[in-house]
Parts: sequence; C-alpha cells; structure tokens
Amino acid sequence: MDALVFVLAGAMATAAPMLLAALGELVVEKAGVLNLSIEGMMAIAAAIAFMVTLGTHDHTLGLLAGVVSGVLLSLVFAMLVLVFMANQVAAGLAVGILGLGLSALLGRAYEGMTILPLAKLSIPVLSGLPVIGPVLFGQDVVVYLAFALAALIAWFLYATKAGLKLRVIGENPATAHALGLWPVATRLAAIAFGGAMAGLAGGYASTVLTPVWSQDMIAGRGWIAVALVVFGTWRPARIVVGAYLFGAVSLLGLALQALGIGIPSQLMTCMPYVLTIVVLVVISADKVRIRLNAPASLGENYRPTT
Amino acid sequence: MTNWMKRILVTGTMLAGLVTAAHADPFRIGYLIPNPVGDVGWSHELDAGAKAIQEHFGDKVEVQTVNSLGEGPDATRVMDKMVADGFNMLILGSFGYQQDGLKLAKRYPNLSVVHIGGYLNAKNFSTLAPRHYEAAYLCGMAAGMVTKSETLGVIAAFPLPEVLNIMNAYVLGAQSTNQSLKPVKVIWLNSWFDPAKEKASAESLASQGSDVIYSLFPGTPAPVAVAEQLGVYATVTHSDNTKYAPTKHLCAGQLNFGPVLIDKVQQAMDKAFKGDDVFAGVKEGTIAVAGLNNDLSADQKAQILATQDQMRAGTFNPFTGPIASNDGKDAVPAGTALDDAAIKSMKFLVKGIDTTIPN
Amino acid sequence: MKFLGFWMEPRTETSPLSTLVIALITIALSIATMIGMFLLLGASPGVVLYSFFVEPLSSSYNLGEVLIKASPLILIAQGLAIGFRAKVWNIGAEGQLIIGAICASLLPIYWSDTDSAWLLPGMIVAGALAGMAWAGIAAFLRTKFNASEIIVTLMLTEIAKQVLYYLLTGALRDPSGYNFPQSVMFPDAGLYPTFGGEGVRANLSVFITLAMTVGCWIFVTKTFAAFRLLVGGVAPDAARYAGFSQRQAIWISMLIGGAAAGLAGVGEIAGPIGKLQPILSPGYGYAGIIVAFLGGLNPIGIFFAGLFMAVIYVGGDIALVSAGIPTSAPVVFQGLLLVFYLASSFFMRFKFRALPRERTATEGV
Repeated sequence: MDALVFVLAGAMATAAPMLLAALGELVVEKAGVLNLSIEGMMAIAAAIAFMVTLGTHDHTLGLLAGVVSGVLLSLVFAMLVLVFMANQVAAGLAVGILGLGLSALLGRAYEGMTILPLAKLSIPVLSGLPVIGPVLFGQDVVVYLAFALAALIAWFLYATKAGLKLRVIGENPATAHALGLWPVATRLAAIAFGGAMAGLAGGYASTVLTPVWSQDMIAGRGWIAVALVVFGTWRPARIVVGAYLFGAVSLLGLALQALGIGIPSQLMTCMPYVLTIVVLVVISADKVRIRLNAPASLGENYRPTT
Repeated sequence: MTNWMKRILVTGTMLAGLVTAAHADPFRIGYLIPNPVGDVGWSHELDAGAKAIQEHFGDKVEVQTVNSLGEGPDATRVMDKMVADGFNMLILGSFGYQQDGLKLAKRYPNLSVVHIGGYLNAKNFSTLAPRHYEAAYLCGMAAGMVTKSETLGVIAAFPLPEVLNIMNAYVLGAQSTNQSLKPVKVIWLNSWFDPAKEKASAESLASQGSDVIYSLFPGTPAPVAVAEQLGVYATVTHSDNTKYAPTKHLCAGQLNFGPVLIDKVQQAMDKAFKGDDVFAGVKEGTIAVAGLNNDLSADQKAQILATQDQMRAGTFNPFTGPIASNDGKDAVPAGTALDDAAIKSMKFLVKGIDTTIPN
Repeated sequence: MKFLGFWMEPRTETSPLSTLVIALITIALSIATMIGMFLLLGASPGVVLYSFFVEPLSSSYNLGEVLIKASPLILIAQGLAIGFRAKVWNIGAEGQLIIGAICASLLPIYWSDTDSAWLLPGMIVAGALAGMAWAGIAAFLRTKFNASEIIVTLMLTEIAKQVLYYLLTGALRDPSGYNFPQSVMFPDAGLYPTFGGEGVRANLSVFITLAMTVGCWIFVTKTFAAFRLLVGGVAPDAARYAGFSQRQAIWISMLIGGAAAGLAGVGEIAGPIGKLQPILSPGYGYAGIIVAFLGGLNPIGIFFAGLFMAVIYVGGDIALVSAGIPTSAPVVFQGLLLVFYLASSFFMRFKFRALPRERTATEGV
C-alpha cells in the first residue's frame, strides 16, 4: 500500500506550511483582526529564507530569517490597521500584493535554484513500523514543531489569563479597554505573531518542503490558511485536522494518477477546493457553533475614544 | 584634381560611409522569454541562445532580452514597443506569443520574426521547434537499460502536443533496450511552477515503484532534486540537470538554440530571411543528450551515442513502424515512418503508457 | 482619541480638495519609494519615470492600450465596489471573469463561420449571466448557510481555472491546433470593433465600461437600494432595525459584481485575445479590488483610479524594454500605491484638533 503511505506521510509535510500560517492567523483573528496578507508574508519569507539558507548552508538561520521577514511585513499591516485605521480587508490585500511583488523582485536572481532539504527524523524502532512508522515518526523537525505549536496555542488561548484577555479584546475591544486591557498593544502583538508564523510557513516551504525557490511558489496556500481558520471554527485542534485533510486530498490526486486511474487530472486538482467549500458550508450552517467561536469584532477596527 | 583622383575620393568616401554606416547601427534583436531565467530549463536555454547570438556577432548586433513576460496582451505591448523603437528582429520564446507576433510581422514586412514553439508561418515569420523527441528516445534507451523495477514514471505539466510525441519517443526508446517493461506511469500537474506539486509527484511515482523518473518540461529542478534524494534515476528535458542530481542524473535532452538562431539572424542581416518552419534536432545541433550517468557501462553509452550519430546523419527516425497505440490500434504500420507533420500532430499514446488524455 | 498629541475625530464629510490632496500625496510617496528602488536596481530613474508616466500617453497605440487595460479594471472595480460598500467581500472576480469568458466563448466556437450581428450581443449577455451565476453560488451559500463569501469566492476561482483547463484540453480545443490548449480564433463577428486607427486596440469594451461607470454613479447617488446597501455595511444593526434585508444586499452585491467580472471576461476574449486560452487575465479580478479601494469605493474615483493603474501597467510593460526593469517592479509599485493610499486616506477620514472638543449632551462615546 505504498500509495497510502505516500498520501498519509506526505500529507503531514504538505500540511505543515498551511497549518503554521493558519495557526498564526487564528491568533490574529481571535484578537479581532482579519489579516488577508498571509500569501504575501509567506512569499517574502520563502524568498528571504531561501537566500539565507543558500548563503549560509544553515536551515535554522534560514527559517529564522523567514520568521523575521514575516514579522516585518506584518508590521506594515499592523501600522495600516491599528494606526491608520484602514479597512482590514483592503490593508490585507495591499500588504499581500506588496509582499508578493517584493518576493519576486528580491528573489529573481535565485529563480529555480534548489538546496538540500532538512533531513527527516529517523527514530530507531518507531520509524521502521509499517505505515505508521513513516507517517508519524519519519517527518522533519518542523512538522513536529507545528503540532507542538498547535497545542501551545490552544493552551495559551484557553488556559491562560493572557489568552483570555486576547479573546476578550477580540469580542469587544471597547469593553476590554474599559476594563483596563490594552487592545491596540495586544492586537499588535497578535499580528506580529501571525507574521512570524506565516514567515515560518513560507520559509519551510522554500527551504525544506520543496526545496526550491521560484516566483509564485506559494501558489495560493496563504489563502488556504485563511480558509482553514474558518474551516476549523477557530479552534486549533480542528485546524490541525483541516490542514491534514487538505494536504491529503491534494496528494490523493497525484497518487491516483500514478496508479493509472483515469480520472481527469483537473478534477483531482479541484478536489481540495471543492472539499473546502463543502466542509465550510456544513460548519457554517451551524450558526450556534460559529457564534460561539468566531470573534464578534472580527474585521472591525477599534478606535479608542478616551 | 584629376578625374580619377576625384573618382577614388568619391568612391573612398562612399565606402567609408558605408562601412561607418554598417558599424554605426547594430542589428537590433528583441528576445522575449516567458518565465524567469533560472539555472536550467526552457527559459535558461532561451537566454543561453540570446547570449550565443550576442557573442557570435559581437558589435554587429544588440540583443535585448525581456524575461518573465507572460503571454497575452502585455507581451504584445512589449513587442510593439520594440518594433516602434526600431528593432530589426524579434525572437519569441513561447507558444502564446504567436498570434500577436504574426500580426506584427504582417504589419511590418521589414521585420523578421522567429517564433519558437508554434505552427503558423508568413514570409517574414519563421517557426522553430526543437526535436525534443530525438533526445527523448535516447534517454528512454538509457532508462530501459538501468531500470530494475521495470517501472518508469513521467511527470508532465500539460498535455501539450509536443509532450505526446516526446513521451512516446521516450517509451519507444525504453522498449527498444528493455523488453520486460511494465506500463509507464504518468502524472499530469496541470500547472506551471508548482514545485511542491512537482516534488510530491516524484514521491508519488517513486512510492509506487518507478525507479526512473522523467521530468517532461519541468517548471523547476524540484523533481530532479527529489529523485536524487529518493535514490531513483532522473531523466529530464531542456537542460543538463546534473547539478541537482549528482549521482542519479541519468540523461538530459540538452537544448542548444545557438546554431539555428545564429543562422536565422544571419539570414535576416543578409536580407535573405526565410519564413520557414524549422524542425531542428540532433542534426542541426539543437538537441543532444547530456549528463549521461556513469552507472551506464561504456558499451551502453556507446550504443546510445551510436543511435544519436544515426540521427545526426538523418538515418534514424524513432517513429518507424510498426508501432501500436495504447488503445489497441495500429498507429504506425510496419514499413512506414511518420513524417514531420504527423509527428507534430500526434494524438495517440504508444502501447505501454498507462494514462488517459482528454479527447 | 489622541494621535501623536492631537485629538482626532471622524469627519462628517470629505471635501473634494482633500481627496485630491490625498491622491497626490499617495502618488508622490509611491514614486519616491520606487525611485529609491530603481536606483538600487541600477535603472535610471529618469528613464523609468518617463516610461511609466509619459510614454503611455504618447502615441495613439499606447493610449489605446491604456484604454483596453483600464476598461476591465474599472468595470470590475465598479461592480465589486457596490458590494464592498455593503461589506460583502467578493474576492473571486477572477473566477467569475473566467466563467463569463468560457460561456461567452461557446457562441463563437460553435458558430465559428457566422457573421451574424447577433453574435456579439449574445456573447455579452452570456458572459454577464455566467459571471452572475458563478458569483451567485457564493451568494446562495452565504445567505442559506452563512458560509463566508471571502473563502467561497476564492475557492471558486481556483475551481474556475481548472474548469477552463479541462475544457481547453478537451471539448473546446481547436481541432486543427496541433493539440495546443486553446480554442479556434473567433470570427470577426465575435470580436469587438476597434477604433483609433490602424493597429490601435481600443475597442467596444471602453464604452461598456463607461456605461457601467455612469450606471453605477446613478445607482449609488440616486437610488434607495444603494443607500440600503451602504447602511447595511456601515451600521448593520441600524439597517436591520430599519428592515433592510441583508439577504437582498448580499444577492444584489454578488450578482452585480459577478456580472461586471463576466463582462470583463468577454471583453478580453472578444478583444485583444480573440479566442479562449488558458491565461485570460493577468489578475484583473484582484487588481480590480485594488482599484475599487484606491477609488474610495466611489464610481468617479474608481474611474480615475482605474485609468491611473492602467497607465502604470502599460508604462511598466514599456519600462521593461526601455529601462530593463524586472516584471515584478510594477507589482511592487501597485502594492506601495495601495499601502500609501490607505495610510494617507486616514487623514481624510479624521480631522485633528489641538484640544478636545467640548463634550455636549448629545455626544456618545
């Protein structure tokens, strides 16, 4: 059942960038801000991380560089939305386009180059187990990091005071401010965190997952991350499942083609997108669930009046 | 001043004028490349062709390349700008530039245009298509020789016409050196420049037993690099990708646009430009195998190169019958061989390829 | 609230002068940044600026190019802006454009020998209806199941691209085109008539866009329906209290946006492209969103913003040749424009005083 192992194991790595970016966006949205510039943040991080890794032969430095560039770009978004009170959708699109353009501009000398990827882990007995061996125990470090981060974020949001404060700010910033919380500062931190995660995601994509840098390589995965947050009804565990599902479905198409099954390839390519819509409809139709988890002030700018 | 002195003076001045005129205005060539120029690949080879032209003609020409130029109205604008600026010749590196390039050629009869990868011609509009399939056959021979799992995999972006004749030639080549091949697996990417998908496709094929993976018109070196990591052989079109697969690079169909393009530029400069349809392969120096793996024995390499020599001499056509197609029909009867038109409009897949193409 | 030591409060109305000043500041800042960038790239700023801003207006061919580039931008932006003002976020104009083009192309593909005068009107109607239908899917899912239209329209765009590839490699492929994924060339009856002289590509789409602009201006300034949409976006609770139907707002917004995008698609295939091919649009669906915002979601503003963006697109193509700048440079420029615009329009929406205004009893928080 090599096709099965290929899909299940590969889905972990394929899902990692989308999962990381979605987790970051989750925190941002829980604080009440909708950041649509993920695609651009991932792109510029991919470019910078690739360039640094190529130059220093050190993946850690490269990923760090990716994180930093994601944060920097997210600060532009933060400034637009928090200081200049710009419409969040427009600001997200603007910064996203800026990020995409900058990544193409900066990375044009590196077009098509490739580097050695990060090695996958090889745990003595566990990795050798049939099927679950490679799937659960044969991944690279960042995949495990993504799961750890999901758990950490869930803990932060729901078990710490700081997380509670963030969620309150996302529900009603005016009330939060009256209670003595700092909406603007918290949102700034959340946006920067989202930028860091998107940066890690983009850096991972270009230095580990493929590992090649090419203009347009993010190929829409930033938008998938936005979808994943809604898909997972703003809960980390469900986002993990959603990312994995998406990764698996996109690989399933390739596996079926390699098996010689004659489904039109364009149909297979469509599958993840159709699936996203279907699941989104099912989840959104349950208005109670949505209202429980979606931050009430999502997308609205906060203007302190005192 | 006596008459003959005057005559010499006048002739001398005229000659000097002609010479300076010839030196003063370099022949300007606009070179359009559809994608960013990387280390390897279609755009890289196009760029190499531009450099070859510039190097060969030196000061006599001025080649200006524009890359990453998507097909569509934007490319047309660039072409138009070049012509308005007085460029003498355009070299168009992508199928999508065809219609508008042709329109320009019709409007400006003094312009010479070479279109790479199309099928329409006019008096001053020439087409150039490389015979990728010749190298594909040779690389297929290599694949057939080294495979142990008897399973070959192919990754291709879109079912373009050339892709079919290349794929067929590859499989025919493999079948010529290996009689026990299992059906060849194909994955269609349905996108350009999606390295993650290219990588996943290579992994998918490898996980199902392919030990030679053919990257047909890849957007990036990702599938080749992944093949190296997975420990399977890599064959590829366009360029020698050994850099990305130092131990497992089996064979590449190396493009070299220099010789043919230099010829066309010379034609244009001599005002003898032919709006012909050039289908150039090993014979013209446009295609050659490169990066043959050292796992191949000296005899095997010699066999491949010998076939290449036959192609160079014009005595070997990979599409010589009998060839059966994968839906059971007889595509090329025994005793016949496909001519250029038939090769270019190939719609069938040979027996032994396990995939379907729409319509 | 305080901002850098000044007290700020929202303006109740914006003066046309301030709009113009904001526009100029945005452009000036963007150009200044780009000059810095070009210097770093090693291109001569003078040549680049000339190519970007002067050359596009310097010949009838170039003017024609600006017009056919501005046309889909403005058209889409007008349609989307109607929805954006009501906070209905149609991000999938690109997909609606593609579906509109596909359906419109069915006519000239199957009647490829005709020269009937009904072909073009048929294409226009088909394209608009198809774009509407594609956007309608998102409207339906939003009103019936509360599914976010941002995500649904995005997903539908990717699906639309695959539908296009599927049809172009199969049912709609030109049988004598050596297997290339494209349709037959449309007959002359299926192409927009051009004007402006030999070689100029300005065509009917310009007039369609003008009509749409005028129509939107009338709609926005004169109709109650548009007012309902606006209130629904600015103050949804008030709208609900007043009985304005959100369902209706969503449907109207998505259908108008989809129709506009579909029309833009027809404009491309009946215009410079002249057939159906895999790449129909260089991102007009997304660029239209930028134009909508740059134009302040106002029909007149959008008109000028669209023209400006078109000049930059065309100038960018020209600069590729004359200044050797990379294709990504105009994209960065557009991003900068929008970023600076959003920042500077802040000053247009709020006014500043040195001291807080005296609070009166009627003022709330």
